[in-house]
Amino acid sequence: MNPDRKEYHQIGWHVLLCVIVLLLLFPIVFAVSNSLKTLNEAYQTVMSIIPHNPTLDNYLHVFKRLNFLKITLNTFFIALCVTVFKTVTSILAAYAFVSYDWKGKGILYFILISTIFIPFSVTMIPNYLTVSSLGLNDTLLGVILPQFADATGILLIRQSMKTIPKSILEVAGMENSSGLKTLRDVVIPLIKPAVISTGIIFFINSWNEYVWPVLVLKSRENYTLSLALQMYISSEGGTEFTIAMAVSVLTMFVPLTLYLIFQKYIISTFTASGIKG
Amino acid sequence: MKDIILENVCKAYGGAQVVKNLNLTVSEGERLILLGPSGCGKSTTLRMIAGLEEITSGKLYMGEQLSNHVASGKRNVAMVFQNYALFPHMTVEENITYGLKVNKYPKTEIEQRLSDVLEMLELTALCKRKPKDLSGGQRQRVALARAIVKRSDFLLLDEPLSNLDAQLRQHARKELVKIHDKYRQTFVYVTHDQIEAMTVGDKIALMYEGSLKMVDTPKNVYHKPANVFTAKFIGSPSCNVASVNREENCLLFGAQRLALPECWMEQVKGRDRLYFGIRPEHIRLGNLPADGALIATIKYIEDYGNRMGVYFDVEDHEMIAVCDDNAPCPGQTVYFLPDFEKIHLFDYDTSDSIGYPSNLTRSDLNELVYQYKFA
Repeated sequence: MNPDRKEYHQIGWHVLLCVIVLLLLFPIVFAVSNSLKTLNEAYQTVMSIIPHNPTLDNYLHVFKRLNFLKITLNTFFIALCVTVFKTVTSILAAYAFVSYDWKGKGILYFILISTIFIPFSVTMIPNYLTVSSLGLNDTLLGVILPQFADATGILLIRQSMKTIPKSILEVAGMENSSGLKTLRDVVIPLIKPAVISTGIIFFINSWNEYVWPVLVLKSRENYTLSLALQMYISSEGGTEFTIAMAVSVLTMFVPLTLYLIFQKYIISTFTASGIKG
Repeated sequence: MKDIILENVCKAYGGAQVVKNLNLTVSEGERLILLGPSGCGKSTTLRMIAGLEEITSGKLYMGEQLSNHVASGKRNVAMVFQNYALFPHMTVEENITYGLKVNKYPKTEIEQRLSDVLEMLELTALCKRKPKDLSGGQRQRVALARAIVKRSDFLLLDEPLSNLDAQLRQHARKELVKIHDKYRQTFVYVTHDQIEAMTVGDKIALMYEGSLKMVDTPKNVYHKPANVFTAKFIGSPSCNVASVNREENCLLFGAQRLALPECWMEQVKGRDRLYFGIRPEHIRLGNLPADGALIATIKYIEDYGNRMGVYFDVEDHEMIAVCDDNAPCPGQTVYFLPDFEKIHLFDYDTSDSIGYPSNLTRSDLNELVYQYKFA
């Protein structure tokens, strides 16, 4: 390809990527813009990006009318617990699959990974019945309990662990380091990007989760942010569209910040190459 | 006694037998080289000694203790891996002391041992660097330092110099021998490089297809190979081996006859067919006929810089000789005499050496050979 054609080719790609980025950014800009408008202005100029008379009323309303701090803490608590449990169980399971040889390993791994493809609607009822029978309905623990482990996490972390040369684990073994010590001192530091990005994915998924909390949580004091947001877009109070936008913006604040802080790990996990000793 | 003894050790993966009935003793403080071509089972043997592979059958004794089922961390072994296997996230210092910390050595002792080993291997200036900031030679030294700092009874090395360039390798093997002379652990070293084997080892164990072919000193492995495989594997260019018939005191190369000196008669008695072996460096070629010399035709010449490799045919047998200077030209007819002190004869059925005469001396014939050169 001659240099001119190469340049046009690159410009073409850049234009295409810019369009995709704009399309992806539009809902966020739309939410931020409308959260700064009055309800009247929003109805008249819903697609206009810059508000005529920017106002923080919607945000003040959220803080006044909702117990916003409590709701945020509920969401944070659930997301944190789910993230910690899923990450820890994923690491331990992946380590067992990678560094030990035992009978039935292949079959068990296959079954475990198959569970990724079971739709939530299939497990929803059994999980609900289990949580109810344990008396955990309308509790945060009830939301957390069925999310202790996750096959996607095992898959991601196992893939990352497999890039560690076997000889590195063997050296640790020859130094008389126990399995857990090797995991702590050698394996986890080497797969840190994968652990962090898997954790972030768990956290964001849990933060945004709606269906499962709506089934388990009944009282408003236990609500998560997704449920609070739902109050403003459902028939219950769905006319307050600008307030819903304000809640949306507040909801995405934490996951977005986390992503911005840890983006280098997330990107490196998906572009990772092997580890050399 | 810190010996390593393998008794009838076998290793099989499914149906594939990769190590067959291995019997080997490595005496305390000795440097044993496991040598052989790729896939001969030498690394598997080393890994069985290290406790990284299970032994299918047979017994492994380390320091008089049956060690088949002793975990690798409890065998008191240190190992240097081919890819060095340094922990990428740790500094040189942390890599070297990891084992000592895991085994809860006192802090002062860790520091003492660390500074000793850093000094000995000239790593002091690099101790805060991570492996990715080191060259291949430096990484190799760190891997060695990590093995030495343990002061274990057994030191195992799996092709530790194979990732270094030729010059560095030469330097590293000299250093390795020097360091081992200081600590004298029982030392097992895997390589496929015969120069490394000859220069580092007190003893060489040559393996092929999972079996031991010869265990002896480097000198004997080279000068008195126990079988055709050993003769051909050791030395470069490879040893010439030709299958010949015998009549009386003569070996028959097609229609030509090569008279053996009297001293060989005891060995060849009762054998009508033999393998005749001669190293390329022990062949003399001349352009004048001599008594008993075979007639050969030069096929082609390889120039090694300091020497010439001369390929020639004696009847149907292709051979190679190494000449220092004036080499003949392709197509030329020459006269070939072996250095009879240096020939090897092997049994035709078993390929094993038929032995060497006890009164092997330089014959008159050989005197002639030494004078025999191209003008």
